[in-house]
Amino acid sequence: MSTLRTCDLIINVPGRPDGFALNMSIEPGQIWGVLGPNGAGKTTLLHTLAGLLPTRSGQVILNEAPLVELKRRDIARHLGLVFQERQDSFPATVMETALIGRHPWLSPWESEKGDDQKCAQQALEAMEVDHLSDRLLSTLSGGERQRVAIATLMTQNPDIWLLDEPTNHLDLHHQVKVMNLLRNQAAENKAVFMCLHDLNLAARWCSHVLLLYPNGDACWGSADTMLKPSALEQLYNQKLMTVQVDGAPVFVPVSAGV
Amino acid sequence: MMRPIALPLSVLAIASLLSMIISVGVGSVAISPAEVWSVLIGDGSGLQRTLVLELRLPRTLSAFATGGLLAVAGALMQVLLRNPLADPYVLGLSGGAAVGALFAMLAGLGGALVSGSAFAGAMLATVMVFGLAHGTGSWSPSRLLLTGVVVAAGWGAVITLMLAISPARELPGMLYWLMGDVSYARAPWAGLGLLALVCLIVIPLGRSLNVLARGPMQAAALGISVRPLEWLIYVLASLLTATAVTMAGSIGFVGLIVPHMLRLVLGNDQRLILPACALAGGTLLVLADTLARTVIAPEQLPVGVITALLGVPTFLYLLHRSR
Amino acid sequence: MIKLKVLAVMLGWMLLVPPGLAAPVCATDDLEVEVCLDHPAKRIAALSPGATELVWAAGAGDQVVAVVAFSDYPPAAKNVTSVGSHTRMDMERLLQLQPDLVIGWVTGNPSEQMAILKEMGMPVFSIEPRSFEAVSHTIERISVLAGTESAGYTEAERFRQGISTLKAQYDSADPVRVFYQVWDEPLMTVNGEHLIGEMIELCGGDNVFGSLARLVPRISAEAVVAANPEAILAGGMGEENRHWLTRWTAFPTLAATTQNNLFFIPPSLVQRPTPRMLEGTRLFCEKLEVARDRRS
Repeated sequence: MSTLRTCDLIINVPGRPDGFALNMSIEPGQIWGVLGPNGAGKTTLLHTLAGLLPTRSGQVILNEAPLVELKRRDIARHLGLVFQERQDSFPATVMETALIGRHPWLSPWESEKGDDQKCAQQALEAMEVDHLSDRLLSTLSGGERQRVAIATLMTQNPDIWLLDEPTNHLDLHHQVKVMNLLRNQAAENKAVFMCLHDLNLAARWCSHVLLLYPNGDACWGSADTMLKPSALEQLYNQKLMTVQVDGAPVFVPVSAGV
Repeated sequence: MMRPIALPLSVLAIASLLSMIISVGVGSVAISPAEVWSVLIGDGSGLQRTLVLELRLPRTLSAFATGGLLAVAGALMQVLLRNPLADPYVLGLSGGAAVGALFAMLAGLGGALVSGSAFAGAMLATVMVFGLAHGTGSWSPSRLLLTGVVVAAGWGAVITLMLAISPARELPGMLYWLMGDVSYARAPWAGLGLLALVCLIVIPLGRSLNVLARGPMQAAALGISVRPLEWLIYVLASLLTATAVTMAGSIGFVGLIVPHMLRLVLGNDQRLILPACALAGGTLLVLADTLARTVIAPEQLPVGVITALLGVPTFLYLLHRSR
Repeated sequence: MIKLKVLAVMLGWMLLVPPGLAAPVCATDDLEVEVCLDHPAKRIAALSPGATELVWAAGAGDQVVAVVAFSDYPPAAKNVTSVGSHTRMDMERLLQLQPDLVIGWVTGNPSEQMAILKEMGMPVFSIEPRSFEAVSHTIERISVLAGTESAGYTEAERFRQGISTLKAQYDSADPVRVFYQVWDEPLMTVNGEHLIGEMIELCGGDNVFGSLARLVPRISAEAVVAANPEAILAGGMGEENRHWLTRWTAFPTLAATTQNNLFFIPPSLVQRPTPRMLEGTRLFCEKLEVARDRRS
């Protein structure tokens, strides 16, 4: 099981002065939610943690080794990412897409075997898209494509799951299904780190929260300490009303007049 | 589900062999199959031996090599640019080769020097586009494509200029080089060797290409070193195209249509598509060339015309069926 | 003693061999290549319409086994097997006819295909006469290779005499400024080094574009109007191209237009460097005479 640590990390958002240095430790069993308004740098942070973007300063450390010193293939065996925006320009079927998740585990001379296909098949079933496995990706709806992307990450089966707004395009049923899946992964000692648009999802499902402000400020910690209405109102520049449902808070935006 | 590789490749291999047999057996001079066979085993009259061994066989092998090289180069370009409309010439390679060849002709050189000059021109075009499209991070396909298209247009202008200022005596030679002609290729072995080599390289590389086709970020996240792989594909595709154009001038259509058609039928696994392109591209060009030299003999048609006439309806039919 | 016997045997052999049995024939072509045949050629392939005419002029028409498209003169050539376009020949058909001599055209045939023939050991004789004397010389050389010297030399001499007669006839004629139009779109002419340029000079014409560098330059209509030729002669592909001349009637200041010196000569008589140029030159000179008459 792997741990992802940041050491005085300052992410590089072009045109923005240095933000707050991040010193977090993403550990097995934790589910992190990253909250912040548009433009706060959530996606940039996620890509930097995955080693796809350079830091402005500081380091990202995967299991005691700095990310920059590791080979891409080794990184991919420990860390996987679901993107918010996907380029689907080249045609591929759903099954083919899920199967590429096995790539980091296969040597160049191996081809996908029965086990790999079973793995992909199970992932597609878990995401309820297995009935579409021979369809071209471009013919699917946004929600179906999102589920295929998550299934691909499942097939890759890394220790650390990074997801950029995983519930985008998903209907309520599948939103809950995905969040349950992530909770199960954390229960199996994976680490989950995701950017979320909906702070109520963070409130219900996350164990830890990182708040990213547009000017670069940040604070992080366990979910109950971070999800304070005053901090959230400042973050989103929006007045909120809090209700308790089923043991977890629900935040409802209110208009200024009330 | 994963499609089996062995069956389609075997079918294509048999088709390739058949096409080559037809090409060697058919020509504007009628030679019966029995006579062709006797030539191949060492017998046959002097004329038959000359026709089969010195005209048809090298021409068939050259056509196969050229078609295979162009089809594989087209498939690689389509992965590199993540664009199913890319062909081997889209980045200006054939333009550079043409300028090299025409320049050699203008300077009064002939034969191997023209071929060498064409090859040098193609590689120069490669380096130019590579250098101009250089940027931070991986090349974006659109940047590479735009650079290549503009450079190709530039070569086109240079070619037009050379045609305009060259003395009348050089003109026919230049025009026929530009149209492409398999009969000029005398030594197919370099082309065939390169084709075989690239197909071998593709075996360990194929899956990485599949992943790269999903996008560079996704590929990096799955463990691919994107920049070195893109560079490798670019160099391979350029080498293949430069060799093909050097052998037979710029024959169009094969590099665009063959990978497309195969993808419609066989799916998207590059480990299958790339060797299939080599076989199918070779077969197509061998058949096209056989038609080009016999259908209205003694008039000889440019082979590019036939590849278009064969390729377009086949492609449209496959596209219609796949809908 | 033994040496003497060997000498005697050798002398005996030399006397026994009939003279001229294995007499090779040689000639140097226009690419400076010397072509030698073991015996005069019996199966000749003529790979351009001009070459076909010249081979017939050399008296070797009966020995021609292959021609190319558009070999329409003499009419007998139309009955000979064609091997396709001279720019892209059907090599199989050519080889099937088993020629023992190939007459190629320097700028007409693709060098790659000629290289293939040479690689197979085929004797290739490349010609392209660029002057009147060269026409005669070419006919003579072909007749040597074909073993038809008497017919060939006679024809070459006839052509020579005809040209020099014309030359003498028009030697002191008043120069007439001439524009020779090779093609309509794009507008093309010839310079002084072209064979047609030589023809113009022989007839006492002054080629207004004679000093241009390129052999067949592309020019503009303005250049023609600026040069103000007295006579315009047009040739081209096909026999009926009179509309090429009518465009010049749109320029009323042009001397050729005002004098109505817009002449047409059948291109087949001037555009191939063959004995028919004698007829063409005669016609050309007559047209220039008409132009001179119209001056007064």
